[in-house]
Amino acid sequence: MQITRHPTAVAPVRQPATVRQRMRKDMRKNYRLYLLLIPGFLVLLLFKIGPVGAMWISFQDFSAAKGIFHSDWVGFANFARIFRDPYILVIVRNTIILAVLSIAIAFPIPILFSLFLNEVRSKRVRGMVQSFSFLPYFISAAVMVSILYTLLSRSSGLVNNLITASGGKAINFMAKPEWFRPLYILLEVWQTFGYSAIIYIAAITAIDPTLYEAAEVDGADRWKKMWHITLPGISTTVIVMLIISVGNIFTVNLDRILLMYNQSVYSTADVIQTYVYRIVFQSTGFPDYSYATAVNMLKSVIAFLLVTGVNRLAAKIVDARLF
Amino acid sequence: MKKRKIDLFGAVNDTWLVLIALLCVYPFLYVFFVSATDGSYLALGQMSFWPLGFNLKAFGYIISTPRFNVGRGLINSFTYTILGTLVGIAITYTTAFVLSRKRFVHRYWIMTLFIITWVFDAGIIPQYIIYNMFGFVDNMWVMIIPGAISTQFLIIAKSFLEGIPDELEEAAFVDGANDFTILFKVFLPLSSTILATLAVFYAVGIWNQYLIPQIYFKSADLKTIQQVLKDVVITDSSSGTTFRNVTIGGVVLNQYNLKAAAIFISILPIVCVYPMVQKYFRKGILIGSIKG
Repeated sequence: MQITRHPTAVAPVRQPATVRQRMRKDMRKNYRLYLLLIPGFLVLLLFKIGPVGAMWISFQDFSAAKGIFHSDWVGFANFARIFRDPYILVIVRNTIILAVLSIAIAFPIPILFSLFLNEVRSKRVRGMVQSFSFLPYFISAAVMVSILYTLLSRSSGLVNNLITASGGKAINFMAKPEWFRPLYILLEVWQTFGYSAIIYIAAITAIDPTLYEAAEVDGADRWKKMWHITLPGISTTVIVMLIISVGNIFTVNLDRILLMYNQSVYSTADVIQTYVYRIVFQSTGFPDYSYATAVNMLKSVIAFLLVTGVNRLAAKIVDARLF
Repeated sequence: MKKRKIDLFGAVNDTWLVLIALLCVYPFLYVFFVSATDGSYLALGQMSFWPLGFNLKAFGYIISTPRFNVGRGLINSFTYTILGTLVGIAITYTTAFVLSRKRFVHRYWIMTLFIITWVFDAGIIPQYIIYNMFGFVDNMWVMIIPGAISTQFLIIAKSFLEGIPDELEEAAFVDGANDFTILFKVFLPLSSTILATLAVFYAVGIWNQYLIPQIYFKSADLKTIQQVLKDVVITDSSSGTTFRNVTIGGVVLNQYNLKAAAIFISILPIVCVYPMVQKYFRKGILIGSIKG
């Protein structure tokens, strides 16, 4: 967040007063604003900043019985362990592969979709197409994966019925590691392309209509206008969205993976967050809170640097900052 | 001649876009068809693209049979969604109001903290440790209180309120109004769009929430419909123990149409409100993407 000062504004001459005195005066004057802020500030302090503070346990050998204030301090031992854990490589690789596939496949689809949707003349058809494609965004991961299970069920699913009817052998999709990534991306596309298209369609609406009129005078057909006016017209939006996706490379849809995966597909489906989740919430012995937090913290720090870095980059491309 | 060529492009383009749109919603329709089909056809793999032996008995049976927990899950999810939406709107709106006031000197650092904690993900374990301290484990309020402010929606609400002209506020001050009367008498009547947008965002978010209940709820009585779905549809696909075939009024109910009925019931509320709310959602995305 950038604070821009009006260049002509001159700091008013103040009576010498300490910061504390001024704060107190402001509190008296605007006490109603302070009162209104209390619930929101508590939510911020307890449930948003609190967990960041609790990351402290990654430097401890945390035990639930001793609590966060009395557990033993171990310094960077948990972080050193990360580099000795051979499984970390697998989950980092899986996380990045999912993100790269998402960018390669799920990213271009809404752009193409909105380019073609823009060519639809009938307002009613356009509205219908947009509403229908946007609907899956509102549907929960649990429903999407449940539907996937229903469609892919080995004994009764539509897909396997078609495969066996055409003489093939039924496939147990949900237990095959090689099928996890395509299915994850399929759900990603299904669930998000209508949503992303809204942003591109808004960008298309902002294109100067005189450009199209000029092109028509020059005899350009709809293809030409689409590729030479519409697409360049939204290129800034496209680049910014791409940069954001790159920044979110460590973000996966955790709900979806937790619902989709099982032990037989861990080799492709297990990602950083699911590993962290399992260490604590599905452990057979004492859950290793500290190690799980250390793994997640390393991920969060890298992701944070990435996101703030790409934010700067995006800010250079468009005037407005993203955050 | 030229006109006909353009029409061909339009016709092909319209057709394939409509097909894509139908493909997007067809799986939901398919789930409805399966749940409305007599189980005896499904057991033989005879379900095609259309319901056979149309009936709606699977819905009544799966809701009213306690063993499946679907009825309980629906009641829970409705309770959490309604309470959480009300609390979320109230806290987000008042916070956005304060943080959008230029005379409020602390707005920058508070907003910065909101944004930093949004971008920097503390992770589910530290969150669990803190929430546990507040007694949120196995407590329905975990669905309502901690998520009362989503930073993304706070930004959307704040930028909406910043768009309301300062003159209105100044005029009200001249008339002797204070911050409370400005909030309730000046801003609130102008905020129906943003309140509706927030309501949609929070309601959909809470209804669809899976990770939080899965982490915090231990007892089956608190489970949401999403968790119930995981139990009866996904977990049962590997174990296959929940369902027994029953015949009600000559209609066979078995795992196929009952599972589909459970899925369809859980999307029904969303599908019902979707036509009314999607325009608010669209607006929200655009504010969020430009300013957020």
